[in-house]
Amino acid sequence: MMAQILEQLINGLVLGGIYALIAVGYTMVYGIIQLINFAHGEIYMFGAYIALMFIVMGVPFWIAVPLSMLLCAILGMLIDFVAYRPLRNAPRLSALITAIGISLALQNLARMIWSARPRQFPSESLPSFFLSEVTQTGEVINAILLPGGGILPFRDVFILLLAVVLMVVLNMLIYLTKIGKAMRACAQNAVAANLMGIKTNHVIAVTFAIGSALGAVAGIMVGLSEVVTPTMGYYKGVAAFAAAVLGGIGSISGAIFGGIVIGIAEVFGADIHSGYRIAFAYIIMILVILIRPSGLFGKSTSTRA
Amino acid sequence: MRNWFVGLLLVSLVCVWGCQPPDKKTDEAQDETQGAQQELKVAVAAPYTGGAAAFGDMIKRGAQLKEKEVNEAGGINGMKLTLLFRDDAGKGSEASLVAERIANDNEILAVVGHFNSACSLAGQTIYDRVGIVELSPGSTAVEVCEGSKWTFRNLYRDDFQGKFIAQYIDNVLTDLESVAVFFDNDDYGRGLRNAFVAEVENTELTLVASEAYERDTTNFKAQLTSIKSKKPDAIFISGLYTEAGLIVKQAREAGIIAQFFGADGIDNADFLTTAGSRAAEGTYITTPFLFGADDKKAQEMASNFEKLHGVPPDTWAALTYDAVGMIAEALQKTYNPEASVADNRTAIREHLAAIDTSEKGYKGITGLTYFDHNGDTIDKPAYVKTVKDGKFVAAEKQLGNLK
Repeated sequence: MMAQILEQLINGLVLGGIYALIAVGYTMVYGIIQLINFAHGEIYMFGAYIALMFIVMGVPFWIAVPLSMLLCAILGMLIDFVAYRPLRNAPRLSALITAIGISLALQNLARMIWSARPRQFPSESLPSFFLSEVTQTGEVINAILLPGGGILPFRDVFILLLAVVLMVVLNMLIYLTKIGKAMRACAQNAVAANLMGIKTNHVIAVTFAIGSALGAVAGIMVGLSEVVTPTMGYYKGVAAFAAAVLGGIGSISGAIFGGIVIGIAEVFGADIHSGYRIAFAYIIMILVILIRPSGLFGKSTSTRA
Repeated sequence: MRNWFVGLLLVSLVCVWGCQPPDKKTDEAQDETQGAQQELKVAVAAPYTGGAAAFGDMIKRGAQLKEKEVNEAGGINGMKLTLLFRDDAGKGSEASLVAERIANDNEILAVVGHFNSACSLAGQTIYDRVGIVELSPGSTAVEVCEGSKWTFRNLYRDDFQGKFIAQYIDNVLTDLESVAVFFDNDDYGRGLRNAFVAEVENTELTLVASEAYERDTTNFKAQLTSIKSKKPDAIFISGLYTEAGLIVKQAREAGIIAQFFGADGIDNADFLTTAGSRAAEGTYITTPFLFGADDKKAQEMASNFEKLHGVPPDTWAALTYDAVGMIAEALQKTYNPEASVADNRTAIREHLAAIDTSEKGYKGITGLTYFDHNGDTIDKPAYVKTVKDGKFVAAEKQLGNLK
């Protein structure tokens, strides 16, 4: 029983790490322009496809990942430039509907380019420690044997560590650099920041770039252990959005914490009743919002709600 | 302002482009080439996109082969058979939209499809209201043909299939004692699971776990961890190939060594590529049809199929080939150019409903097809395949008749 709980906890943490990476993208954009960027799930999907394409072309994994991050960062900025920037002063609803439109357009674009067939990363082109296996004789390869018989693949350890490292880097970027300071200023009051000489559009573009690059990493990590499909952004995107709301949308530490809570809730929800696996995560989110409408880490600002 | 306009243009372009059915171009090409010859149009509704798209692929190819053969042999009484491929994405919600469009199209005389049980059920009410035949080459849920005189299918039902799998595990693979079920939470997965579980209680097997998953989810580790703790000898996956492939892959990674079973929803080569051939090795599945080496008609169809498409046919291509054949035969015998669409649609139904004994049965490559009063096919057997050296092959031991 304890062994099973330990194994599920780790399953939840790995899933939560991925949700956190995606949720940060939602929350950063919301923090600055109060827009729920529904196309973020699609950027995550493009991240996986772009990396997959490079790897199939023969580019080594460790180069394909940063390339995909870079291209997704550009894609994120492009979406902002083409779709959201012209609507900066329009009613918020217009931008929200545009975001849904962009999301659908990107999904269909992916279907046209790569077809609807689920794809997988070719295992022979991946670093060998990603390929965990339990042989017929019970030997565990590229994985840690947990007490009680659980198996923790190195790949999952890598996903978890990478999520932690990226979060630390992100926090350093926001609290220790000049652009980070500008982002915080824009989040507090974009008009005032602009008056102080901060180029808000520039800062917003950088925010989109960072969020998209992190989303791309999450997409690749999910692609490694699951499959890549044009609709893969939907489920994880909605769950990550719930994570961002739970943590308090606009707050980065909230998104990280929310991601982990949703991940763990989902896994233990599956233990209680597998048919309602994801429902448990949403129930927790709804409960939190009922008690604290601005989320766990959100500032209660009456003007923004 | 200009940016805004360019953005809108881009988005609308991609939307329009992406939303077009994949067969649009070929439809137009066909419309242009047909001159004075009259066309008889039949819709083939299946999942051409989404998680079940590989099934749709084979269905389309099987149908195209039959269409080509019928037209090369002079068509139907001199008229050309034209198939219209309509995508339901494997989802009930899409299927009702597509069914509405098909039923209200006054040129379509009958429907071959849908594939997924949830889609056939969604279409049923609409086809029933309008009055057009729905002949499914793939839906196995028990309720698919119930409650409408317009619904038919040319393969077995899940109550039979679920029972069959339980008896196969019990009687043929006798060293397996405890079983777990992992099922897709839709009409097909639930129905098949219920039939399987009911029969397990009649055998000496014990059911140790029953877990569900949602279609299009890709992470099954949580459920697999709880199944693993129950230590089953065998796990029956009641679902479709994409999810099943991932389940087998993630289960092997998690150190689950149980024997895997699946039903006809897994009968597609994409199961093997998704799971990886090593993880999939030894998996057993049931299927409504096997290309037997001694069956001349089936072998001939297989070689023609490979000539046309470059790949060998599968179960669903064969069943669709027969389903289109049955509709073509019905059209040949009943179509009256003078009569109204509604009358012609009714005539097809009357023709199919009259095929109710083995003597009147349609002799296709998948065996003899004839219907009971519901439109269900009677007496078509199930076969067992297993994965050997990374390929589906017929299992050494087949199960004769059910107890």
